[in-house]
Amino acid sequence: MGISLIPIVIYLLLPSFTGAAERVTFRHLQSLYQDDRGKGLREPEGLFCRDRNLLIVADTGNDRLVEYRLQDGSFRSQQERKTSELARPIGVQLHSKGDLYALDGRKRRIVRLGPEGEFRGYLEPEGIPSPSLFVPRSFRLDAQDRFFILDHFSRRVLILSPEGKYQRQLLCPQGGGFFSDLAVSAQGTIFLLDSLKGTIYFAPKGEKEFALFAGPLKEHLSFAVGLTTDPRGILYVVDKHGGGVVLIAQDGTFLGRQLSLGWNEGLLYYPTQICINENGEAFIADQGNHRVQRFKLTP
Amino acid sequence: MKGSGMKFHVKVWGGLLLFLLSCLSLASAQDKFRLKPGARGKLCLGCHSEFEEKLRKSSVHSPVKGGECSECHNPHASSHGKLLAADGRKVCVICHESIIPDKAVSNHSVVKEGRCNRCHDPHASDVPFNLVKAGKGLCLDCHQDLAKGMERAKFKHSPVERDCLPCHDPHGSSEAKALLKRDLASLCSSCHPMDQPDFLKKHLNYPVGKTDCSSCHEVHGSNREGLLQENLHGPVSNRMCGTCHEASSSSTPFKTKRLGYELCRSCHGNMLRDTFSRSRIHWPLLDREGCLSCHRPHASSQKGLLKDEKKSLCATCHADTVLTQAKLAQREKQEREEARGKVIKGALTHLPIQEGKCDSCHASHGSDGMFLLKGSSVIELCGTCHDWSKHTTHPMGPKVVDPRNRNRSLDCLSCHRAHGTGNRYLILLPTVTELCVQCHKQYKR
Repeated sequence: MGISLIPIVIYLLLPSFTGAAERVTFRHLQSLYQDDRGKGLREPEGLFCRDRNLLIVADTGNDRLVEYRLQDGSFRSQQERKTSELARPIGVQLHSKGDLYALDGRKRRIVRLGPEGEFRGYLEPEGIPSPSLFVPRSFRLDAQDRFFILDHFSRRVLILSPEGKYQRQLLCPQGGGFFSDLAVSAQGTIFLLDSLKGTIYFAPKGEKEFALFAGPLKEHLSFAVGLTTDPRGILYVVDKHGGGVVLIAQDGTFLGRQLSLGWNEGLLYYPTQICINENGEAFIADQGNHRVQRFKLTP
Repeated sequence: MKGSGMKFHVKVWGGLLLFLLSCLSLASAQDKFRLKPGARGKLCLGCHSEFEEKLRKSSVHSPVKGGECSECHNPHASSHGKLLAADGRKVCVICHESIIPDKAVSNHSVVKEGRCNRCHDPHASDVPFNLVKAGKGLCLDCHQDLAKGMERAKFKHSPVERDCLPCHDPHGSSEAKALLKRDLASLCSSCHPMDQPDFLKKHLNYPVGKTDCSSCHEVHGSNREGLLQENLHGPVSNRMCGTCHEASSSSTPFKTKRLGYELCRSCHGNMLRDTFSRSRIHWPLLDREGCLSCHRPHASSQKGLLKDEKKSLCATCHADTVLTQAKLAQREKQEREEARGKVIKGALTHLPIQEGKCDSCHASHGSDGMFLLKGSSVIELCGTCHDWSKHTTHPMGPKVVDPRNRNRSLDCLSCHRAHGTGNRYLILLPTVTELCVQCHKQYKR
């Protein structure tokens, strides 16, 4: 398998906030059901949040993106971005220059939209090895606007420059099952989620291959599909089939499970992705409930 | 000279003294417990006289033959049944430590679990290696599906009819999967030389000598001539390997012409067009394996060239669902037994999953419905089996808004979870009352 121990050692040397993380709980703040014109969300699968007041929802079933902003303590929808070139968006990221990148779930390509929602083309990775064998499953932009794309077909994570030029790739670990999502921490560590085995792999910045970070966590995860990290380095894993969120400490230890399955506010029904903003708030794409839920993370 | 003679005497006498001391020490150790002669086993036969008959059998376990019962049993007391010296599942490996090769590619589950007595009599039997039964009958007692298949097979494979051991190592194999002694191709070639013109002609000159013969052949017996598997892929039965593979004369004859689903598109274009027109697609279809994530390319014992029977196949990825159902089925059985005939209303399990018919509800390639459900209406789908839901039911449908969630309309999944919850009627809450008062709050106590 060729998994190196070096990245594990390096990562363990980073400061740990495990103690504080053990007390993280989710307090329900708000459920977002519709846009400002009253049109309800439909199977939202992806989301993006930045700063304290911006949330962009990939409203998958309505083939659009919806932007929410914080006003008087509540997130309210501001703008719908819809174009015929984007169908069933399943992931969305915001470029620092204002362009939006959304993963089209039907055609499985990354679409670039301008600030007003106008179509600006597709992300065509330049210079990647085996370009015809590329099927993006998930992607992230880091603080430098570099693209991290999980390529489902070739089982690799591609790293592209902000202009979309190939920089390098990391192959997914051999023997893995279904790699469904990735996350990139503030330190540049890439995390990779294997849904079938309930396993998380990681590659600290500059590493050439993934190493085991946590798991298998099958006793805590039924079928996880969403992954993110908070500024402290805690990982949040969205268990779609189990209707919950599992927290993993910076050293890979299991911290606990939050939330549960249901239809009432505060409960989740086949959730898919999670995003955490600088205000310590978590947004969860509660896909089966056709809504996005906002929680305060309380340490 | 005199000095060297003296040294010689000292060595001889010294050696003799050491030998005598060793003998004394041994005798003293043996005498320590004041053991009677034969105390390590032969004495046991005084009471366990039935073993005299066992000892007359042709294959006797060597410690038994040597009268060393205490090799496996503790004569005084034990924490394990039958006064065994160790856990019944571990006692054999005290001597037979390397019965499973260190780097086993495959191992027999009963051996790994230490259930050696499923095949061997620990004392004696009339079959070599103390086996409890001779020949393939021993194996087929457990591998009954295989036995049935072999019985039904019109075309038999003569080595298989005789015994399993020419091909399989019953404990474990360091060479190949399925306990095979060597990889299948080299095993097969020991009887079917693969460089013969007739053999090559039958295989269209493809160098199959390094491939997996079971990809097309059912080596245990088949109803098809040439021991081919029950269900064949069209190009295989039509001997058109070149439809998918490069020419046999190529330097890479087995390389496929395209990768993933693109290879299958040329023949299964309509199916793939339909699949790709759906809003959701089953992700395994989109990886490098593509269709081969679930299907076999050449032949299969399963319809639709599936890799395995449906329940096991789906469980390779969705083990959470299948395991949950298995646990619920066990609980169902237990609770119904405890009820002793008293009626228990509501099921814990869902029959289609129990029967491995995941495709009763799910479209395995792609779908417009959530969870890859067939059709766009959950109510219609459930109604195909639960037909009362179409005429006598709680208000449901696109116009009936879920009081708990304004973005949801009420359908069967508003109250039930088809894969089971641990509650009867597959509801998410422990009691029907708790479920109903979620919406009918006026009745909440």
